[in-house]
Amino acid sequence: MSAQTQSVGKKSGREFPKHLAIWLILGLELLPFYMMLQISLKDNPTFIANTWLPSLPRDWVWGNFLHAGKLILPFVANSIVVSVSGTVGCLFLALLGAYFFARYRMPFSQILWGLFLLLMLLPGIANIVTLFALLKTMNLLNTLWALIILAISGGQVFCIYVLRNFIEEIPRDLFEAAEMDGASHFAQLLNVVIPMSGPIIGTLAILQFLGSWNDFLMPLIILRDPELFTIGVGLIYLDGEYVKQWGQIMAAFFLASVPLIIIFLFTMKLFVRGLSSGAVKG
Amino acid sequence: MSLPVSKQKALYEWKLYFFIIPSLLLVAVFAYWPTLSAIYHSFFRWGGGDNKEFIGLANFSRALQDGVFWGAFLTIAILVVANLFKMIPSIAMAVLIHRLRSERWQYWYRVLVVLPMIVPSLVTLFIWKFFFNPNMGALNSFLDLTGLKSLLIAADKAFGWGGVFLDGIPTAWLGEPALVIPALIIWGFPWLGAVGVLIFLAGLQSIGTEVYEAADLDGVTPFQKFLHIEFPLIMTQVRLMVVLMMIGTLQGYGLQFLLLGEDGGPGGRGMVPGLWMFNRAFFAGEFGYACALGLFLFAFILVLTMINNKFIRVEK
Repeated sequence: MSAQTQSVGKKSGREFPKHLAIWLILGLELLPFYMMLQISLKDNPTFIANTWLPSLPRDWVWGNFLHAGKLILPFVANSIVVSVSGTVGCLFLALLGAYFFARYRMPFSQILWGLFLLLMLLPGIANIVTLFALLKTMNLLNTLWALIILAISGGQVFCIYVLRNFIEEIPRDLFEAAEMDGASHFAQLLNVVIPMSGPIIGTLAILQFLGSWNDFLMPLIILRDPELFTIGVGLIYLDGEYVKQWGQIMAAFFLASVPLIIIFLFTMKLFVRGLSSGAVKG
Repeated sequence: MSLPVSKQKALYEWKLYFFIIPSLLLVAVFAYWPTLSAIYHSFFRWGGGDNKEFIGLANFSRALQDGVFWGAFLTIAILVVANLFKMIPSIAMAVLIHRLRSERWQYWYRVLVVLPMIVPSLVTLFIWKFFFNPNMGALNSFLDLTGLKSLLIAADKAFGWGGVFLDGIPTAWLGEPALVIPALIIWGFPWLGAVGVLIFLAGLQSIGTEVYEAADLDGVTPFQKFLHIEFPLIMTQVRLMVVLMMIGTLQGYGLQFLLLGEDGGPGGRGMVPGLWMFNRAFFAGEFGYACALGLFLFAFILVLTMINNKFIRVEK
């Protein structure tokens, strides 16, 4: 954080209205989150009688979470499989690729770099139609593999772009020293690059994970069996088929957020930084 | 910069090419191939399978006359204008946070701004869909509670909206054609964008203390400060966000799909170009036609991206 102290007002009294305004906006922004939490502990009659305020702790309907858990946890598990393997695979391959571009300027590497950069420019809007047909020919429809592979390939361009710049900043002596010790390129990647680029890898990982977790259009057209549903499709399915017990639905929404909440708690700083750099992705 | 290497060295290091092959293969198969395939198949009547029939430019001429498709661009135009105004809260939030003197509060407010991201965007959308629910939704019960409903009913009568808001009848936000676009605009209130706030804050960082002190000496009001000091300094960021917003609005259709379904809601009022492409491919089975529609969108977005790269990013 490079926030420097600014002395805007002279008296501390001038600060109060600013805090008030900020809390007002934040309060409204977090309203859906609050509603989700408080409704998740009510049944329908309680909710109709009392829309806005949380019910008393002794009236909390924990059963909502039991029902919601049964419905949604398999979807959450599928999403975890897809998002974790997608993120790990994407970063592993992107590190290899970025190392290739950053370490030496090999013959053809300029052309290859151009191929990657061009994809930053080309919109992928029409791809969803033909990707579906491609996955069909590859017999990957209705598999989690399809989603994992798409997550890995979808992140390559951006991750390689960011990581290449980062690896080029690493002092060359470190690589040369490792080379003297007979380290292969892969060993240099493991022992020089990865230890030095922890934060940037973490930031990229969060962005990839978020993107994959929030995706629902691709899973929707790829997955057919309810056992394979990721939360994206799972929630759409619940929204359509389920008799509306709002408490249970909100509990399901909350459970779908838990993995992101856990990640947020542990990586707050990276989260904040990742989102600032996320806009570059366009 | 990476070092140029001699021929001998490159020959010696040939194994390094293995590092790039996996990424290259993935990108070729899952990014380049679909794009080329979309161009190729836009000349065919195609159902997504092995059977296809060459029909020349028929898909394109049909797309040019497609009222739904071009009507959807009107919706996009309305949404883009609305989204411009929806950037105001993010700018205001960034300025408010920046003007705070306590560095610690600045940090914690940043964290709180990012906090809503822990709810998957899909879930936020579904919660809003629930807010819009006519009978159980929070929006109607808020309007009843605050008496704003009677105000809307009076406005309906006065301006002849045609009985969109009626006494004693719950308002169907997503079921009434006239309310579809307002609902698409209202959702997400107060429209705080975490990425936007953080980017504006980064822009504000360049303002030094002395500028504020000078302004204070001149007795400048807070709003004048914004107009003359802060806003000009974040113009680059604002322009960047405007172009990104336009690209995002033009190519996004998940929001409309989730709230309104594949037909764009009652009367198709919420239909956007991307959704129409999606609809044609996956609900009508017209993959070839969807490819042609996709290419039109592709061209529009490409132009916007080039503008972004040429005029905006360079200045950063």
